[in-house]
Amino acid sequence: MTPGSAPSFGLLVRIAVLAVVVVFVQIGVVSEVPLFGVSVDISPLLVVFVGLLCGSTVGALTGFAVGLLVDLTLVQTLGVTSLIFTLIGYWSGRLRELRDPQAALTPLLVGAAGTAAALVGYSLMEFLLGVDAPVSLELVRQIVIGILLGTMVALPMWVIVRRSLVGALPEDPRRRRRRAYTTGGLSPLSRP
Amino acid sequence: MLLVVLSLLLLTAYFGEAPNGRLHAVQRDFLTVVSPIQDGANKALKPVRNLFGWIDNTVHAKKQRDELLKQVDKLRGELVSSQSEKRSYHELLGLYHLDDQLSIRDYHPVTATVVGKSPNIWYATVDIDQGESAGVHVNDPVINGEGLVGKVALATSDGAEVSLITDSTMGVSARLGTTNATGIVQPKLGDPNDLLLQYLPANTVANPGEYVVTSGTVASPDDSLYPPGILIGQVTSVNEESAYESVNVRPTANLHNLDVVQVLTAAQGTMPANLSHLVVSLPVGQGPGASGSSGEALASTGAG
Repeated sequence: MTPGSAPSFGLLVRIAVLAVVVVFVQIGVVSEVPLFGVSVDISPLLVVFVGLLCGSTVGALTGFAVGLLVDLTLVQTLGVTSLIFTLIGYWSGRLRELRDPQAALTPLLVGAAGTAAALVGYSLMEFLLGVDAPVSLELVRQIVIGILLGTMVALPMWVIVRRSLVGALPEDPRRRRRRAYTTGGLSPLSRP
Repeated sequence: MLLVVLSLLLLTAYFGEAPNGRLHAVQRDFLTVVSPIQDGANKALKPVRNLFGWIDNTVHAKKQRDELLKQVDKLRGELVSSQSEKRSYHELLGLYHLDDQLSIRDYHPVTATVVGKSPNIWYATVDIDQGESAGVHVNDPVINGEGLVGKVALATSDGAEVSLITDSTMGVSARLGTTNATGIVQPKLGDPNDLLLQYLPANTVANPGEYVVTSGTVASPDDSLYPPGILIGQVTSVNEESAYESVNVRPTANLHNLDVVQVLTAAQGTMPANLSHLVVSLPVGQGPGASGSSGEALASTGAG
């Protein structure tokens, strides 16, 4: 999807269903299975991957909606998760629009960066809002482990998000053009 | 940009309003709607959770067994001396007519299943499947077989949100098991396996391994009246960094793997409920936070 083009209704429905499923699976299962004392958070991964597949507008919208859903369901301070997820959704969308990275490891790196941004963003927001209790240095270790765990589940999450949305994703003209060149169909050099 | 501004507006409005404000009400209503869905999803996904739990338990079983065998040896020795002390204690209670203590049953425990957990390291909360319709109210203490778990932060008709003792909003009046030294147990943010028992009297001697239990008093008028003697954790070390006398405490309840909990509802008309209301209605200054105040005395006596 190019900047400015409106997302299709089918795509938005798919994202909405995926968001609800991911948030409930996160709260009901994934959060209750700690690894090294930290729970994996798959909701920021969903947001960055939607941004990476659909662009900045849909990424930011998804981030806001998923953040609001998380804050409402977990009775957290309204607006904190929305703000962070909106920013990371927009950022991953812009990455696609400006650079359109095609490397196989792109989802891994984007997932790691998205998880890191979410964890550091939460911490900054909580410090800004004021913390009454003493803070342990263990927090740094928890953030690092959280980023590593987010990176580990980034690829499976990328596969799930891409497969869920692939039928509704509109063709990107730039990508179509590049594919055409590589297959030789439309390249001027391949013409007789 | 619009979404960022909207998020900031939400954040500012939510942060600035009272707990019974509009946005909090929306959040409560939303929780009322999603509680049954969460409950259903929890039941459907339970096999998956159990599978992961089984793997985790298997990995840690051998280490836990060795630790438990050591503990059994130690506790067997302690049991012998405790039994004779208990006999003397009951004789003394009977002598002074103080043997009408309250037990956990008097607090009308409501058993609830944990249906969700926050993944965020800054919010140590869980969702349970019992709410106001079962008698659960805000600030009710929550326990499990291992010790204190937390208190109810928000209650809807069919569900509730529980703040764990490791949540940044928590503070529990506690005392060291073998002494009368009381303080406040607070979490150490970022470390879910460590609590801090702060504001202990000067020259308090605390030994590693010593148990920390609830004191049965409250720290502020809107605090929860935890029954006395509920196990919170064990002392791991004396904290040298703090300006106050304080010790590090490891919670005994496994907060990572909560499945079933009990909410102490102290239903209307019961002795614990009457005492709670009495403590809360005390004017500021006479409150139980003041050392030796009437509120503390009432709470302590009433709760045993």
